[in-house]
Amino acid sequence: MHGGLDKVLGQSGAEAVLMHMKMTDNLPDPAEFHKKLLALFGVQGTLSLERAIVKDLAVRLRWSLTVLKMEESFDFSATMRAIEKGVKA
Amino acid sequence: MTPLQLEHQKGTAGSGAEDLIETRIASVLGLKQFMQGPIRALLIKGLAGTGKTTVALEILKAAGKGKGAYVSSRVPKELLETHIPAMKETLHNQEFLDIRLEDASSVLDLVMQLTEPKKFRTIVFDSWDGLAKELDQRERLRAEKTLMALAHNSGAQLVFVSEEPGATTIDYLVDGILELVTVEEQDRTVREFIIHKLRGTKIPQRKYIFTLLDGKFTFFGPYTIPDYSKMSKIAQRPDIGESYSFGSGALDRLFGGMIPGSTLSIEYDENVPYSALRAIEYPPIINFLSRGRSAILLPLPGANDEIINSILARAVGKNVVSERLRILNILRTSDLKTASLPKEATPQEIHEIVANETTELRKKSVDKTVLLVKSVSALENLFASDLDSLLEVTSQEIITLQQSHDAHILFLPKDSPIRSRILSMSSSYAKLFVRDGTVLMFGVKPHTGIYALQHLEDPIAPSLTQLV
Repeated sequence: MHGGLDKVLGQSGAEAVLMHMKMTDNLPDPAEFHKKLLALFGVQGTLSLERAIVKDLAVRLRWSLTVLKMEESFDFSATMRAIEKGVKA
Repeated sequence: MTPLQLEHQKGTAGSGAEDLIETRIASVLGLKQFMQGPIRALLIKGLAGTGKTTVALEILKAAGKGKGAYVSSRVPKELLETHIPAMKETLHNQEFLDIRLEDASSVLDLVMQLTEPKKFRTIVFDSWDGLAKELDQRERLRAEKTLMALAHNSGAQLVFVSEEPGATTIDYLVDGILELVTVEEQDRTVREFIIHKLRGTKIPQRKYIFTLLDGKFTFFGPYTIPDYSKMSKIAQRPDIGESYSFGSGALDRLFGGMIPGSTLSIEYDENVPYSALRAIEYPPIINFLSRGRSAILLPLPGANDEIINSILARAVGKNVVSERLRILNILRTSDLKTASLPKEATPQEIHEIVANETTELRKKSVDKTVLLVKSVSALENLFASDLDSLLEVTSQEIITLQQSHDAHILFLPKDSPIRSRILSMSSSYAKLFVRDGTVLMFGVKPHTGIYALQHLEDPIAPSLTQLV
């Protein structure tokens, strides 16, 4: 999470978001995280941040970036769950 | 309350048109054009002591009680209240957050706490660069983008105060940039604010004069000609000890009245509107006439006698004007004819007319005193080829007047060829000039502070606001 947020918000911004959401230690629940991001940054801001998070994770895990295709509706929770499953697998 | 202890509070910002951020800025700065622009983030920059904090607090005040937050990286609340006592109430009414020892991520978290409940309309960072300087360039830009995103989502207005005069990353992100500067004008300090940027808004004027008199931000728009139709009968002002009143509280406070036998010279730049000069010309005449004394006026070039008569008659009554005021328009041939002057009058002959009129008017004056108000420019125009004679006559007049109990006011253009000689003979000397459309005035002899001249309450008498 931190890496993706960092790329957009900077280190202090990313720390602040996680601190604000009290999510500094464990991986947050994607749905809860999405809701909190929406409250802070609105729809467009949240979409940008979530895409940055997913992109960062995909690059780290060497996944295909097709999950980020603009024409398809982007579901952060579903994508994060898929990534999580992939990692566990 | 520490920043991190700040509790989330519920409420919404921007519930109606009157709550629009741009409207709030407009209400503080009084600039109509601000009303039109979508200003969400404003940068106030300037060197130390230029008034940034006061301006920022004025904007905060406009947010409304409990809807603004002041985030200070420089001074604690108690010290700020001591520095700007006029803003004590504002500071009490708004959230004050002392972040002097906080790092950037804590401050951003704090902003999230402030913006998420959408309660705070205006958040002031004083100063932003105090915090941003701790970050590298890229990190700073990202932190600033985060702040902007938070502000845009919540509808809050961010005001950044900065002491960095050069362009920084935030200059490109904010919607508006105001720079506050102090400039030296004739050995006096004048405050000026410059609008560098105001997105989506026409900027008809980029620079304005302002004052921090009584710890409050007051800016001056361009000088506006008074509406004489709104004038009322003017109450006469008593003499000030041995001195005559100028007929205006503002002028009396500035000069302390006119000493009998004295000459006050008013020097003016070519761009000073005549109506501003009339704000110094009319009140003493009106007061002299109101107190049963007499006056002679050699008006400024281009003056219309009928208009002057009508304005003065409204102030003191027609009979008084026709009985104890003489308007000598020396550029009008009919006056020369009435006075039986030859076709080409000399300065000496004009002087004789004035002397004769003075003698006549003295008889009608309750205490035999006469006020003489003269435009040197009008005389210069008439005697351009014989300025030596004009100077000689004017000098004689000043010296003769010193022996009398009369008072003398001379209006002198800045580029007058006889300027320095007249000024050296004058007992008092004031200057008028225009900067950023505002008419400014100060006394050279005696030395006074600098004032903005407006017509706030009365179209006749001037309002003088000190620039501090």
